[in-house]
Amino acid sequence: MRGESDLLSVRDVTLHKGAFTLGPLSFDVPEHSYFVILGKTGSGKTMLLESLAGLQPVRGQVLFGGKEITWTLPEERGFGFVYQDFALFPNLSVRDNIRFAGRFRAIEDAEALFEDVVDFLGIAPLLDRRVTHLSGGEKQRVALARAIYSRPKLLLLDEPLSAIDPTFRTAIMISLKQIVTRYGMSIIHVTHNFREATFLADRIAVMMDGKILQTGEAEEVLHRPNSLAAAKFLGFKNILPASVLGIAKDRRLFSVNPNAILFSRHRQDREHCLECTVEEIVIQADINKVIARVGDRTLYAKLPKTMFDKLKIAVGEQLYACIADADIMWLPEAVALEEAS
Amino acid sequence: MKSDRFFLGIFLLLSSVIALFLMVPLGKLFINTGLLSIAKTLTEPEVMDSIGLTLRTALWAVLFVSVTGIPLAYLIARYPFRGKSILEALLDIPVMVPHTAAGIALLVAFNDGFVGRVFSALGLEMIDTTTGIMAAMMFLSAPFLINGAKEGFKKVDVKYENVARTLGASPMRTFFSVSLPNARGEIINGALMMWSRALGEFGAVVIIAYHPMVAPVLIYDRFNNYGLSYSAPVAAAMILVSVILFLTVRLVNNRYGK
Repeated sequence: MRGESDLLSVRDVTLHKGAFTLGPLSFDVPEHSYFVILGKTGSGKTMLLESLAGLQPVRGQVLFGGKEITWTLPEERGFGFVYQDFALFPNLSVRDNIRFAGRFRAIEDAEALFEDVVDFLGIAPLLDRRVTHLSGGEKQRVALARAIYSRPKLLLLDEPLSAIDPTFRTAIMISLKQIVTRYGMSIIHVTHNFREATFLADRIAVMMDGKILQTGEAEEVLHRPNSLAAAKFLGFKNILPASVLGIAKDRRLFSVNPNAILFSRHRQDREHCLECTVEEIVIQADINKVIARVGDRTLYAKLPKTMFDKLKIAVGEQLYACIADADIMWLPEAVALEEAS
Repeated sequence: MKSDRFFLGIFLLLSSVIALFLMVPLGKLFINTGLLSIAKTLTEPEVMDSIGLTLRTALWAVLFVSVTGIPLAYLIARYPFRGKSILEALLDIPVMVPHTAAGIALLVAFNDGFVGRVFSALGLEMIDTTTGIMAAMMFLSAPFLINGAKEGFKKVDVKYENVARTLGASPMRTFFSVSLPNARGEIINGALMMWSRALGEFGAVVIIAYHPMVAPVLIYDRFNNYGLSYSAPVAAAMILVSVILFLTVRLVNNRYGK
């Protein structure tokens, strides 16, 4: 059922492209929300966005503000679209790229909006430049400005941060988050990066092989993945059965952050100290990675250089890997059942 | 360093052989004829009419193929469809056939039978008309423009068109505001290639229309009836006019096309 505040509702949408099948997909995007679709490369994220924009014909039902738009033409949907490589028109200047929508539809308060967008995204010095001479970050801001200037109710962003220098990412993510409130629109942002999703999302859908594995509030999805695949994709490391901790009756799986594991030659004052054998050590600039065997399971830990040097850990050594209860994240029972099957 | 010089030496030597072969006849033609003689030839009404007719009909041929061939090139570049590769191969055939054979094929197709009668009813006669000349030029040179436009459209990322649609442009307006301007360079190059090819068309034209005489036919006619000294100035004049026009279009395109 469509919620009162849902802007977009997708119902059993499917699309076949060669051997790839997208869907069936069902999800809702609330009004004024930041919705992140998280999925690996090749999971059909771009195809999904193009379907929502009306660029790919789909089966099923797409509702926008309660009205069916499944067969509505892209130019009549009023959705903004920013591609991963930004797709700025090479034949036009930055200014003409941004004003492009004004040639085809009446833009409310066009001048004020243009000034505001240019100011918000800091692109005033670029306006008369050719788009071919812009950096990745500049192109991204121009592409966003072009989409915002068309006053969409819904903005579709396809991996918008992948071509951006990591040093500018946080600043751009802050701008992206502000777009929702500043311009009163919802955003659907697809990415393979769960850190982006953690920062930006109000709601998250986890997508894999053309299907949505889980959808819900960002907090819920990020902390309670409903499948092993979702858990792994969301960055959960050391997914292990409760039996490793000596809890025989519990069938659940737990996950422990690699940074929260304390190695010691003696049992420590922590709730769980597991006997382990060091199998591999990977030396890195700031931390060292230690891969250890606990029974028939593998434990992966990250150690600060200082601790590593103090312990003088060597491959083949018997140690204790100590974990505090507070650092254990229990996964839902469904995940354990999935692994058992 | 030594091997670099050897490599460059060999390549320069081989390059100069073909470059000289291509340039010497044209240079010799101008030197032998002399600018004065060319200028005098250009004042002859028969020569001026002939060159004017050649330029005009070739231009009409280019315009006709621009209107019909550019949409075809776009369809081929953008959409997958059954028989596409066969269609692409068929479109290249006119470039490969002997030009006199093409002239005969055009006569068979458009001068006789039902199609010929339809054309005739529409006032389009083939034999000894500018329509016939234009058809002959078009048949043999259209692939240059179509292929140029096709390559141009292939280089235009379909995502530009998708974004234009989401920004409110209909498919037709997307084509004119995004696809066409971004393929312009290749299209203009293709049009220039087609035009220059059409200007020099002789074999097919002479089968369909000996009169009115286009420049290549006039050159042949004068050579046949009066000899080399009478035909060379016309040849030089035609080459000069073509080169000037060709360079002007290229220059304008390079200056304002970027």
